[in-house]
Amino acid sequence: MIKLTGLVKRYPGRTVANNAVDGIDLEVAEGELVTLLGPSGCGKTSTLRLIAGLERPNSGEISINGEVVAGPGCFLGAHRRPIGIVFQSYAIWPHMTVLENVMFPLRVGRHRGRKAESRTRALAALDGVGLADLADRPAPALSGGQQQRVALARALVREPTVLLLDEPLSNLDAGLRDRMRDEIRAVQQRLGITTVFVTHDQDEALAVSDLVVVMNGGRIVEQGLPQEIYTWPRSEFTARFLGVSNTMTGTVTALDGAVADIAVASGTLRCRACEGIEPGSRVSLFLRPESFRLSRRQHDENDWAGTIAFSIYQGDCWDYHVTLAGETVKVRVYREKVGLAHGDTVYLRPDEDAVIVMPESGRAPVVTALREPRTSR
Amino acid sequence: MATLTAVPPETHEPAVPHRRRFFEPRYLILFGAAVVVAYLALVPVGTMLIASLRSTFLGIGPDTWTFGNYVRTFTASGFGALVANSFGYAAATALVSVVLGFGLAWLVTRTNTPAKGFARIAALVPLIIPGILNTVAWALLFSPQTGPLNQVLRAVHLPIFDIYSLRGMIFVQSTHVTPIAYLMGVAAFTSMDSSLEEAALSSGARPVRVFRGITLRLVRPAILAAALLMFIQTISTFEVPQLLGVPNHTFVFVSRMYDALQSFPADYGTVAVIGVFVLVIAAVGLIVSQRMTKRSPTQTVTGKGFRPKVTDLGRWRWPAFAVFVVFFLVTVVLPLAMLLWSSLLPTYRPPSLAALRSLSLRNYLTLFDTPSLLDSLRNSAITALSAGLIVTVLTAVVAYLTIKTRIRGRWLLDGLATVPIAVPSIVMGVGVLYWYLAAPLPLHLYGTLAILIVAFVTIGLPYGMRYLGPGISQINDELEEAASASGAGWAQTFRRIYVPLLMPSLLAAFLYTTIVAFREISAAIFLYSQNTEVMAVKVYDLWSNGDYSTVAALGVVMVLLLTAVVGVVRLISRRFALEHT
Repeated sequence: MIKLTGLVKRYPGRTVANNAVDGIDLEVAEGELVTLLGPSGCGKTSTLRLIAGLERPNSGEISINGEVVAGPGCFLGAHRRPIGIVFQSYAIWPHMTVLENVMFPLRVGRHRGRKAESRTRALAALDGVGLADLADRPAPALSGGQQQRVALARALVREPTVLLLDEPLSNLDAGLRDRMRDEIRAVQQRLGITTVFVTHDQDEALAVSDLVVVMNGGRIVEQGLPQEIYTWPRSEFTARFLGVSNTMTGTVTALDGAVADIAVASGTLRCRACEGIEPGSRVSLFLRPESFRLSRRQHDENDWAGTIAFSIYQGDCWDYHVTLAGETVKVRVYREKVGLAHGDTVYLRPDEDAVIVMPESGRAPVVTALREPRTSR
Repeated sequence: MATLTAVPPETHEPAVPHRRRFFEPRYLILFGAAVVVAYLALVPVGTMLIASLRSTFLGIGPDTWTFGNYVRTFTASGFGALVANSFGYAAATALVSVVLGFGLAWLVTRTNTPAKGFARIAALVPLIIPGILNTVAWALLFSPQTGPLNQVLRAVHLPIFDIYSLRGMIFVQSTHVTPIAYLMGVAAFTSMDSSLEEAALSSGARPVRVFRGITLRLVRPAILAAALLMFIQTISTFEVPQLLGVPNHTFVFVSRMYDALQSFPADYGTVAVIGVFVLVIAAVGLIVSQRMTKRSPTQTVTGKGFRPKVTDLGRWRWPAFAVFVVFFLVTVVLPLAMLLWSSLLPTYRPPSLAALRSLSLRNYLTLFDTPSLLDSLRNSAITALSAGLIVTVLTAVVAYLTIKTRIRGRWLLDGLATVPIAVPSIVMGVGVLYWYLAAPLPLHLYGTLAILIVAFVTIGLPYGMRYLGPGISQINDELEEAASASGAGWAQTFRRIYVPLLMPSLLAAFLYTTIVAFREISAAIFLYSQNTEVMAVKVYDLWSNGDYSTVAALGVVMVLLLTAVVGVVRLISRRFALEHT
């Protein structure tokens, strides 16, 4: 179990207002995989490095399995914490063979193992990631995916209490990324090891996590189960970061228990209500491109009429930019063979269950980057 | 503690860990290295400055602060001529070497002249032929009566070339520094994007116009930077002015300083003033040159793998190739052949069939029978190897500190370690000498090999940084952090991760600084005493005594030793390069 309390980290040369980690409180339960998700510069990697002991917090406390490893007057360096870490670059030592890399954690530090025993354990760890037959290869002769596996074996060989993964998939190409993602999750569940996974990719985060923690500006924006975070984000930042690209504002016209009727510029819609709204209050609405029903004919008088501004063929789907009364929404349609063209008239109906509604914030949080490029750090 | 909750946690938190952190061995080592570097870099320059402002530095009588030394030196008769000689000599050398060096570089990188192999040789010349040997060899080649080249001139009824003149000095120094200018030129032309030239060509400009308007303009900052560096190097080296200028009473700054220290009573004030003068010239020149390279447009395009466009010279390929043959003859073959020839004769005679008969290895046998020569060999080996070792260890720590840590003030340390590059070796020699003569230290280093090692280490610091800085930045931080997260302490991480990964850079730094220290004379000449002569100084000594044959034999031995060391460097770097691909 990992517990972070009031964790603050600022780097020298920056003002106090610009803390890299700005008061994080978080508990990672035993055996869970928690993802820190957010844009670059949100403090997720700094948080991971604080847990690892690679950075020294300015204030706050970190405990691993009840033992305080960083806090007022006490600090254990990375080499004295029960952790294993996989870096974004894998950090495979190029001057050693695969086996030497994996044996290293067993041959250094306070509890040094005997050589023969270390070798057996390292080989077992390599076997666990399917690389036992490459043990004597020089490390630089491996492919990206293999290096990734060596890094994982090296992180796990000491049987640490905590596994830390710093964007481990971002240097792999698309197909391999999905396979390694599943592999990491399988190993984590098999060993039941408490894991912190840092990523900027929401698909990765949703796919592997027990708990997703969304971060921005050094703080936790919200946390929850992947499916909660995806379907019912509680903040505009999360909604936007998870790819909800259509935003509207509207006024609540009627509220009937769990259902709200809302008037927007293009017409009206009905959706699930949320806390903190009442008839007459202004609300923000978030709609995913895929949560519209789009047709060429009007089925219902409440359908919104619009015209296609332009269309993009994506292979498995079409993306349309539809001009409604004064605004443009993005709509994604699957399973359609013949697309629509510029100027076609269409009718839109938002999917009731998929509309995300929240009370209008005085000031919408500024979203700096919706996605960062995969290659950047 | 619970009663203290009103105090924000941050305010009382750092005190405890910070104090403990400082006493970790890691921080003590780093702090120690920082102190050593600061001491080495600042003390000679500081001493020189102070000495120039004292009325009777190292003398007898009241010692007060004064500008008297400056007034006296600048108003002394002959100071104008001294400045004119020094600047004329350095400027002409810079001009000749840069025009030749960049011209040759252009031929190699941008044309189809069959001369690619010369790039390698040119890189070796300044390493294996120390300036003092080059000077000695040319003095023999152009000796007024017996020099073979002057005999050739006389045979075709041309006036002989007087090597003991300003022209002679410029010529000899140019042969020594042109290979360096050439290497800088190769770097500048290779990093230039030839599509810039192609764009001009396709805009309708004729090739000559493109060369003038685009090519030259783009390399102009590099040319100016190279010229400034050649100027600084020329104005601050000892051997050429001393051997070729002094016999004819042509003095420049360096020889004037040496002269003032040799005379009795030694004029420490004047020497310090001229030293400060040279130091300021070098520092300003270096700063300007670095600014220029930084702002150079060619800098913006480095890093990509360009294949520079090759111009077809057509029929001119072979004349261009002949230029390289001459370059090779003048910088390598003639000086080495002259040394070898003289070393095989009991007394010098011009090359002839008759002289062939008296060739013998007797001079070499004499070398090994003369204790003072063997001592100089031993002294050179001890000082050069220790300097190489100390520089390597020190710069490894400094480079680690400045690149891999976030310790406050690390930029200052980086600056300090590069200060000596702006300090001409002659200033370094005099500064170190003054400090150890004047400072009330418990240890008397003057007259020991240690004082030479101190000077060589200081001179070598920037070279060590040049190898270890890039070497350490190439090592991804995460490689160190992965070791730390694997449970390895700092010392283990350094030994098992950094040292093996850095091995090529460490070896290169060690061998290169060893070579620099081995060839060094401009500082050593002020610091040696009876029992601590190093080889380069011994060559000068023997030359002054007119013992040319022994000089030549000793020179050949030096060249062989240097060639062996350079060969080892090549072998090692090739081995490591192979291992890492």
